Amino acid sequence: MGTFEFTDDHEALRSTVRAFVEETFPEAQVRRLMAAPSALERPGWERMARELGLQGLVVPEEHGGAGAGPVELAIVLEELGRRLVPVPFLSTALATIALVGGDRAVTAGYLEAVAEGRVVATVALAEDGGGWDAAGVHCAAVSGDGDGGGWRLTGTKSFVPDGLDADLLVVAARTPAGVGLFAVDGAADGVSRSALEVFDLTRRLARVRLDGVAATPLSAPADAAVFDRFLDAARIAVAAEQAGGADFALAMAVGYAKERVQFGRAIGSFQAVKHLCADAFVDVESARSAAYYGAWALAQDSPEVATVAPLAKAFCSEAFFSTARTNMQVHGGISFTYEHPAHLYYRRARSGVQLWGSPRANRDLLATRIGL
Amino acid sequence: MIEMVIDTAGDANEEENPMTATTGPGTPPEASKEASEEASEEASEEASVERVRAQVAAWLAENWQPGGGGPRWRERLVDSGWAAPTWPVEWFGRGLHRDLRRVVAEEFTRVGAKPAALDVTQLFANTILAHGTDEQKRSFVRPLALGEQQGCLLYSEPGAGSDLAALQTRADRDGDTWVVNGQKVWTSGAREATHGFLVARTDWDVPKHRGLTFFWLPLDQPGVDIRPIHQVTGGSEFNEVFLTDAVVADTHRLGDVNDGWRVLQTALGFERLIMGAAAGGSSRQRRRAGGGETTLADRQSPWTRQIGGADYVELAKKVGKADDPVTRQEIARLYTLEKVNAWNGLRARADAGRGASSPLASIGKLAMSRIVHTGVDVTTNLLGASSVLDGDTDPVAAEVNRSSFAAFVTSIGGGTDQIQRNIIGERVLGLPREPEVDKNVPFREVRKAQATRRFS
Repeated sequence: MGTFEFTDDHEALRSTVRAFVEETFPEAQVRRLMAAPSALERPGWERMARELGLQGLVVPEEHGGAGAGPVELAIVLEELGRRLVPVPFLSTALATIALVGGDRAVTAGYLEAVAEGRVVATVALAEDGGGWDAAGVHCAAVSGDGDGGGWRLTGTKSFVPDGLDADLLVVAARTPAGVGLFAVDGAADGVSRSALEVFDLTRRLARVRLDGVAATPLSAPADAAVFDRFLDAARIAVAAEQAGGADFALAMAVGYAKERVQFGRAIGSFQAVKHLCADAFVDVESARSAAYYGAWALAQDSPEVATVAPLAKAFCSEAFFSTARTNMQVHGGISFTYEHPAHLYYRRARSGVQLWGSPRANRDLLATRIGL
Repeated sequence: MIEMVIDTAGDANEEENPMTATTGPGTPPEASKEASEEASEEASEEASVERVRAQVAAWLAENWQPGGGGPRWRERLVDSGWAAPTWPVEWFGRGLHRDLRRVVAEEFTRVGAKPAALDVTQLFANTILAHGTDEQKRSFVRPLALGEQQGCLLYSEPGAGSDLAALQTRADRDGDTWVVNGQKVWTSGAREATHGFLVARTDWDVPKHRGLTFFWLPLDQPGVDIRPIHQVTGGSEFNEVFLTDAVVADTHRLGDVNDGWRVLQTALGFERLIMGAAAGGSSRQRRRAGGGETTLADRQSPWTRQIGGADYVELAKKVGKADDPVTRQEIARLYTLEKVNAWNGLRARADAGRGASSPLASIGKLAMSRIVHTGVDVTTNLLGASSVLDGDTDPVAAEVNRSSFAAFVTSIGGGTDQIQRNIIGERVLGLPREPEVDKNVPFREVRKAQATRRFS
């Protein structure tokens, strides 16, 4: 399966997910969940696992999943991103990527629970300082000596997506040998969580305080290669979701430019508007190419992953933001009303620029990885 | 043989125009399709691939001599049909499906012979085969294939750049000949050419697209004056061609009188085919060179290689700016632009391979324009103050200076960035066209630009 060669199965997956999203998460439903205490409704979450198998998509078959790969995940994330689906799918998917990359003796049970829709999972990476790499991790992991070799985590995690709803937290913590990923039960003693008031109304974030909480390492602690690989896979997954959001924001802008009449003609006939849309189209298609290329690089286990991942996250997040901004500009006054959905895309896009590593941080990493 | 400025927008509402955003790269215009489709059923079979392979190999075994091909190689190649496999058998081809071009090329390359692929590269013969009479095909195709005749493109004018259909060079009928007056511009290869594809106005009382006629104009005559253009880069690849009572026989007219716009679209389609083939080749070569690793060659765009072979990363290290945060951002950003553009190209080809239409083909030129201008900015910032120097005083700066002008060949030539955005907006996104003040107005009554460039 060569790069960019989408199969009929890929197209079938895309149309299945698109139909599901359009039926289950119309704008009215997204707004209802936005206003609800939690965006998670367990019966719907379980049905999504049971009937579509979305949570188990990249879970290996022996653990109850579909055993699909990064390309399939990118397609699903792109589709959910198009409609700002507010359920904790991205969070759970990122945690699943970490679990799949971990020691299966440790993660098998978690993977089965995720695939069945029994648990919501997330990744707690950043802290109050807001860095999404090993350098930003200060949360301490201490190995208990006379305690059966168990580990305990102490520190504060922030910007944790769906951190309030998650049953399982995959936490990045610092051991004396370096940074590793640990599984933490959301209900464990010593975990205290609080919701953050956030700009993006369709993605909830939490601050999580860990005070000597029991934790299980996903793999041999402080394996820098495993941690880096997880970060790269996460960057590409996030990029795919952003490409989807950008695609829909462009469709909104173009649709409106064809309908809205001023000066006796559709505003899309004015070059000032048309060229905004054309530039957005170049951005959106380039973002999709970057996300897909990254997904394929992951699927092929290519060394290019190291450069594509930071590139894709930086590019897709900026392309989404720029397109969301164009969408508001093309809509004019109506986009300034709360009732119009343009601001929801703007909120998601603008927050996504900074989450999981800013474009500057990712480009600096890219610079290092191309030899600078 | 590429003109600097080629209209691709003034014709968007013309049905004949084969330049659609849904046409993938490498798709031949309709003209060559007819011949191809006749053979397609049979040719799609694996057996025919092997049969063709054997036929080429047998012909090469008999005719190719390593190191030169032997006496009258070119004639034998052209007359064999292997120089243009998809052309009809009666016109120096083999009538093969275009998918089999690859097989023919592989066999030529295998013995060390250069595949001619005239059915891709010979846009003049391709267009004559599509629109010419049998007599014209007999007269022109073989000399073009042999290189005895060479063409250039007489399309753009000082007053007709983006709006090519507004051209004002006139051809007036005089019995069996036409008398041509006007000025063409941005003609590359004019000094080497024997003939030119000329579009001239033959009816001034109809709207602009409907009064044009297409000719194969002989250049060796007193009425044709070719003058090199002194370009800002210092070079003179392009020419101006002044036509003063130049004469062309009616037998050299391609297509009907006043139907020249349709012939032009075919010719432009073949030109894009050439550019598409060139782009595909270089990208494949780069991928092979890269081998999946991020190599130095991988980082180098064809553009950066022009800058005295300088690589951005190496240049940044050389000037001591590898740790400068702004420099790192600029280089990473440029690297990103180059990469996503290359991926868009790969994706377009993958889509085309699945038979899916891809709008991606339309964005490459606009993206490349941004890349080349940004690339020059990055290198200029790396050079700093020395970028104000030129000539032998600082050859690296001189090369960057030249490149900074050459970047405009991408953003102006072949359809300006602004025209490209119109194309994307209208043909890809389906946004409505601007109201046109010259629509359905006799060209005589339309406001026109100055038709000729005056020398100071």
